[in-house]
Amino acid sequence: MPAALAVAAMFSIMPALIRADALDDVRRRGVLVWGADQEGGGPFVYPDPADPDRVIGFEVELAELLAQALGVHARFFQADWTTLPEFLENDTIHVVLNGYESTPGRNARMLSTRPYYIYQLQLLAREDDQRIERFEDLCNPPRGGRYSVGVLGGSAAATFLGDSCGSAVAAYEYDGNTNAMAQVRSGVHDATLQDLPIAVFYHRKPQGRGLKFVGPPVGRGYYVMYVRKGETRLAEAINAALRSAISDGRLRAIYERYELWNNAQEALASASAESAGAQEATGLAAVRRYGPVLVRSAGMTVLLSLASMPLAMAIGLAVELARRYGPKILGRMLTLYVEVIRGTPVMLQLYVIYFLMPKVVGVGLNPIIAAIAGLAINYSAYEAEVYRAGLSAIPTGQMEAALALGMSKAIALRRIIIPQAVRLVIPPVTNDFISVFKDTSICSVIAVVELTKQYNMLANNTSAVLEVAAMTGLLYLAMSYPLSVVARRAEARLAGLPSRVTA
Amino acid sequence: MIAISNLTKRYGPTEVLRGASLEVRRGETAVVIGASGGGKSTLLRCVNALETFDSGTIEVGGIGLHPGPHSGEDEADRKRLRRRVGMVFQQFHLFPHFTIRQNVMSGPIYALGLSVEEAACRAKALLERVGLADKADARPETLSGGQQQRVAIARALANEPEAILFDEPTSALDPRMTREVLAVMADLAASGQTMMVVSHAMGFVRRSASRVHVMVDGRIIESGTPEQVLDSPQSPQTRALLAETGD
Repeated sequence: MPAALAVAAMFSIMPALIRADALDDVRRRGVLVWGADQEGGGPFVYPDPADPDRVIGFEVELAELLAQALGVHARFFQADWTTLPEFLENDTIHVVLNGYESTPGRNARMLSTRPYYIYQLQLLAREDDQRIERFEDLCNPPRGGRYSVGVLGGSAAATFLGDSCGSAVAAYEYDGNTNAMAQVRSGVHDATLQDLPIAVFYHRKPQGRGLKFVGPPVGRGYYVMYVRKGETRLAEAINAALRSAISDGRLRAIYERYELWNNAQEALASASAESAGAQEATGLAAVRRYGPVLVRSAGMTVLLSLASMPLAMAIGLAVELARRYGPKILGRMLTLYVEVIRGTPVMLQLYVIYFLMPKVVGVGLNPIIAAIAGLAINYSAYEAEVYRAGLSAIPTGQMEAALALGMSKAIALRRIIIPQAVRLVIPPVTNDFISVFKDTSICSVIAVVELTKQYNMLANNTSAVLEVAAMTGLLYLAMSYPLSVVARRAEARLAGLPSRVTA
Repeated sequence: MIAISNLTKRYGPTEVLRGASLEVRRGETAVVIGASGGGKSTLLRCVNALETFDSGTIEVGGIGLHPGPHSGEDEADRKRLRRRVGMVFQQFHLFPHFTIRQNVMSGPIYALGLSVEEAACRAKALLERVGLADKADARPETLSGGQQQRVAIARALANEPEAILFDEPTSALDPRMTREVLAVMADLAASGQTMMVVSHAMGFVRRSASRVHVMVDGRIIESGTPEQVLDSPQSPQTRALLAETGD
C-alpha cells in the first residue's frame, strides 16, 4: 500500500517536474522549438529550392525574429499540419507557428498569441473559365448543378466555404495547397478557395499557372501562434516581441519580401484575437456534436472498403488464373504487375491515379472513384498472392481427376479447384479486408475525407480530443468486428455439406 | 479399342518410354505388369492425354493423339476422348468438397452436360453396384480407402465410358480393402467392360485378365494370356519379375 501511494504520488508530481514553465525551458535550452508543416508550402514554410535541407518562408523569418527577441536560437520541427497541437501538448514543441487561424475550438484547447497576420481568402479558377465571376457565384450554380471546390482540409477556407454555401457546393479537402490548385487546372474541380498569401505566392509559380483570381478577397481572420494552455509567460514574451516588430516595421519588412503586405495589415497593431475560447462541448455534448459527422465519415470508410475489396478480389483472382493457366509471356507481365504494385506504397499509387493521370490522359477522376480504384489495384496484388498460395495447396490430382472425367479446364477450375481454394483463402482474405478498412485513411491525400481524416480535422479544432478519439475507435471496431464474424460464419458454412451439385 | 504403337517419351535425360506398343480390344481386360519405374503408369496416362509423348501414335476408339506438347486446338479432341475413357487413380482423387453422390454425378453433369435428375439416377444405380448406396450423402474423408476407391470407380463409370484405365488402383490399400476393390473390378471385367489396368495384383491378373503385357524399361517385352505369361514366361526378364512378386 505505501508503495502504491508512492507511485501515485510520483505520477502526480511528475508532470509538474517535466512541465517546467515553457519560457524557462526555452531560455535554459537556448532554443525556441517551433512546429510547422512544409507540405503546406509557400509562403509559410517550404524547402529552399537552392538547398532542400533548409526551410525558408515568412514564418521561418518570423520564428527567427522571435527567437532573437528571446535571446535564443530558433529550431524548426516538421510535423503533419493537423497533428501540430498534439506535439505542442506532449512538449515536443514550444509553439505552433504555421498559418493557424484563430478559431474558438483551437482557442479552447490551446493558448493563442496576438495575431501576426490578417488573412483573407481568395477564390481561384481556370483562366478560361467564365462561369464564376465572384465568390457569391459559387453558391448559385446554374441549372441546379454544383460547383466542385478544393480547399485545404480543416482550414478556415473550408469552414468559410461551408458557412457561406453549405451543400450548394461540393467541397473536397486536401492535405496540401498546391494539390487543390493542380486539380483545378486539370479540370477535376471548378475552383479552389485559398488563403490570400498562398494565392499570391503561387500565382506566378508553375503551380499557379493557368489559374486566375476570381473577384475580391473574401472573409477575414487572424493567423495566430499557439502555445500550451497555461503558458502565459511564453505567450506574453511572444506578444511583446510581435508588438515591437510591428511598431518598428520589421514585421512589415518580412511581409513585403513575400509580397504579403496589404492594407488589411494596417489593423495588426490594434488587433487582438479573442483570447477566450467559445463554449466548447465536452463529454456527452461532444458526442452529440461530433458524433454525426464522424458517423458520416465512417460511412465513407465503409463505402471505400466495400467497393474496393470485392474489386481487388476479382482482379486478384483473374491475375492469378491468368498467371497459372495463361500464356507464359502474360504470366511474366502479371508477375511484374504484382511485384510493382506490392513494392510501392499505396499513397504513391493514389497520387499517380489522381494527380498524374489527368496530366497524361487529360481526364480527371472523381476523388472517390480514384480512391476506390487505387485501393482495388493495390489490394489486387496481395489477393493474387493469396490465391496463388490457395491454388498451390490443391493437389494436382484434383485437376487430373476432373480432366480425366472430360471436364474442360475452365469448368474444372470453376467447379473443382476454385471452390476448394476459396475455403483456404477465407482467413487471409478476411485479414486483408480488415486492413483495407484501416488503409482507407491514406485516401485523405486525394481529398477523400474518411474516418481517420475526419478525426484528425476535428481533433485539430476542438478540445474534446478524448471524446472524439474514443468515438473514432469505437466506430472502427463497430466496422471491423462484424466483418470477422461474417468471415468466421462463411468459413464454417463452407466447411459444411453443399446440399447438391448444381449444373 | 486402344492401339498404342512405338511410343517414346523422355523426362530430361531419362527415357521413360522406348517404343512401347500394345493393343486393347473391345471387351478385353488388359493388365500391364512390370517393375516399378518401368513406365507402366506413364503409358497409361498417355492414353487419356494426361501426359504428352514424344513420338509414336495412340488411337483410342477412332480418335488419334499427336506427339508433342498439347495445343489449344486439340483440347476438344482430348475432352471427347476422356469422356469415352474413364480413369481410376492410385490415390482415388475424390473431390473433397462434394458428397459421394455429387462425386459420382460430377462427370455426367460437368462433362457430359446431363441433367441433375439423370445424373442422380446414374449415381444411385452405380453406388448400389459398388455396394455404397448407404454412403451417398457422406463426405469422402469419412470413408475408408477401399470405399473411396469404389466411389472413384463408380465416378468413372458414370460417364458410361467405352474403356476404363486403372492406375495401380490397389497400391495404396491394405489387403482387406484391396480385396473389396478387386471384387468390383472383377465384376466389371466379367460384364465385358473394356479395361486397361496397371497392377501388381497377380491374383486378379490370373482370374480376370484377358491379356497380360509385361513392361520392362519402357517397352512391352511379352504379351499373352495369363496362363501363357504367368505359367510359361518366354523372357528371362519376365521370369525374374515373377520370381520377385512371388507368384
